[in-house]
Amino acid sequence: MDVLDLARTQFAVTSSLHFLFVVLTLGLAPLVAIMHTRWTRSGDPVHERMTRFWGQIYVINYALGIVTGLVMEFQFGLSWSGLSHYAGDVFGAPLAMETLVAFFLESTFLGLWIFGWGRLPRRLHLACIWLVTLTAYGSAFFIMVANSFLQNPAGAVLRDGRLELADAGALFTNKALIFALPHVLGAGLFTAGMVLVGASAYRLRRRAPEVEFFTRSLRMGVVTAAIGIFLTMGFGYAQFAVVDTDKYSTNVGSAISLAIMMEFGQLLGLITLFVMLPMIRSLHRRRWTHPILIAMTPLPFVLAIAGWASREVGRQPWMINDRLTVADAMSPGLTSGMVTASLIGFVAVLGLLAVVDYVLIARIVRRGPGGLDLGATAGEPRPAALSY
Amino acid sequence: MELLWFVFFAVLLTGYFALEGFDLGVGLLLPLLGRTREDRDRMVAAVAPYVLANEVWLVAVAGTLFGVYPLLEGEVLFTLYPLVVAMLLCWVLRDAGLWFRRRLDGRAWRGFWDGTIAFGSLGLSAGWGMTLYAAATGFTASPVHPVGLMLGLVVTLLFAFHGWTFLGWRTPGTFGATRSGRMLVLSGLVAALPAAGVLAGALPYLLEHSAPPASLNVLSVMVLPFAPIMLGAQIWVWRTFRPGKDAFRVPSFF
Repeated sequence: MDVLDLARTQFAVTSSLHFLFVVLTLGLAPLVAIMHTRWTRSGDPVHERMTRFWGQIYVINYALGIVTGLVMEFQFGLSWSGLSHYAGDVFGAPLAMETLVAFFLESTFLGLWIFGWGRLPRRLHLACIWLVTLTAYGSAFFIMVANSFLQNPAGAVLRDGRLELADAGALFTNKALIFALPHVLGAGLFTAGMVLVGASAYRLRRRAPEVEFFTRSLRMGVVTAAIGIFLTMGFGYAQFAVVDTDKYSTNVGSAISLAIMMEFGQLLGLITLFVMLPMIRSLHRRRWTHPILIAMTPLPFVLAIAGWASREVGRQPWMINDRLTVADAMSPGLTSGMVTASLIGFVAVLGLLAVVDYVLIARIVRRGPGGLDLGATAGEPRPAALSY
Repeated sequence: MELLWFVFFAVLLTGYFALEGFDLGVGLLLPLLGRTREDRDRMVAAVAPYVLANEVWLVAVAGTLFGVYPLLEGEVLFTLYPLVVAMLLCWVLRDAGLWFRRRLDGRAWRGFWDGTIAFGSLGLSAGWGMTLYAAATGFTASPVHPVGLMLGLVVTLLFAFHGWTFLGWRTPGTFGATRSGRMLVLSGLVAALPAAGVLAGALPYLLEHSAPPASLNVLSVMVLPFAPIMLGAQIWVWRTFRPGKDAFRVPSFF
């Protein structure tokens, strides 16, 4: 592989890893916020346990979202300095807003939510998780603005060989953005819904004692997945109004990724809307469905990555469509040795951490809602199972 | 407008040194002061509620660099390529250590992640000294110059001192010292001093290399109204987790 392929591989791997965790974060945040709201309103212990159980899965997943995001943010300068050189005056604005307005606040409020348990007044504690949700969606908006600019460089003019921002309104109402953003947010909800469904089906199949807890979670998951896939499919098809479909005739990688996403997305959509949703009242009792529901859990993640692959590979060879090629965006002077060394470092460290993270999430599901760290109080016994 | 954004940028970078400085400092001291597992748990628990609110200052620095100094962003990061990669990996390992250390109870598990916290904190602290040296020379000198290495050592020691002061403030007497809030502010200012010095030297260069007015205007309209909210959220963190009887009432998540 030459240096360009290596640099592309590095970005593809880190951004795919990042999105695997982000897609769940985006969908799970509002669900945990709803559970927390129910708990605050009713004081019902089952809602408290749901908030803590799904909240712990949410924050463990969030950890990898942060660290993969850090590596991504700095890669723009490391490998793709040509992008900031040519279009930084335009592309930099939404990226700066994402970090300053959205992520800065998201991380601050998340810290307050995690460590404010039992310390903040109840309603303020609840407000924290809603603020985390709001700022997470803000992040998604700004990142999609930046990405949509690469797809369709609206609102910019070329002056002295560099792009300058001419129309901020056009940047934020980009036609590549308006259907893609709800498509991505829908995919997040669908993914989180299916994680609730799959994990609950696993616990119910194991005849775990918390039947009410996981029946409620299962139903919440089905409703969320149905809303999510409905949005995702609707805004997915709507994108054909604005996407240049000619690219699929020449770009095989993009076409195949698109085909995989649509084919399996439709299948999952049919199952969710016409099987799972009508059966929502009895799904927890129908044990034969549980292995199928468990097996479906990883699929939304695969489809989300396929969707991004289609969008990003579809832009080749352009970094900014019709303006700047990927080759020209690469940092001048970047060598194969530099990228290979950092690629090995990032992939090894982030890959291992991702595996550890998923193992930890699987352990939480396997162990159920007893002995959680999130929101634990001093008197609460940690189960002996923790020490093996 | 350029000056306003320089001030914003300078506040973020020096704020990062003053705030994340004590997180890294406590990480550095973890193997030195944390002889028993309980001690290490208390040290990490002392910084835990602040870490998420502190480390984002650097994310914000990078975002501002991209938005306000786009030409510089690529140049700085690319010139220091190996150092930036090493510092990123250290940051990732430090964070992973914090998030993972209490998820399982085994000795080896805890020891390993406590090790990554200390190692990551050391790499980041020393890396910052070297980065500041390279920045002070206008990115012409290699950061692995003897002076760069010495500055790395200085920043590491400053952070360790700042971390020790923080522990004396949040967990009075537990780790040998009792410090007032005023002392903590003072050690924070000292920790931020190297960054402030380099920023002062870079002032004319940064003003000249700011993004054009159209971009800065959009950024100002979109970002500056949120500055009070950002500040308010940070103050909220400090008010919520001030030291007191209940500092250890809740077992810490980290």
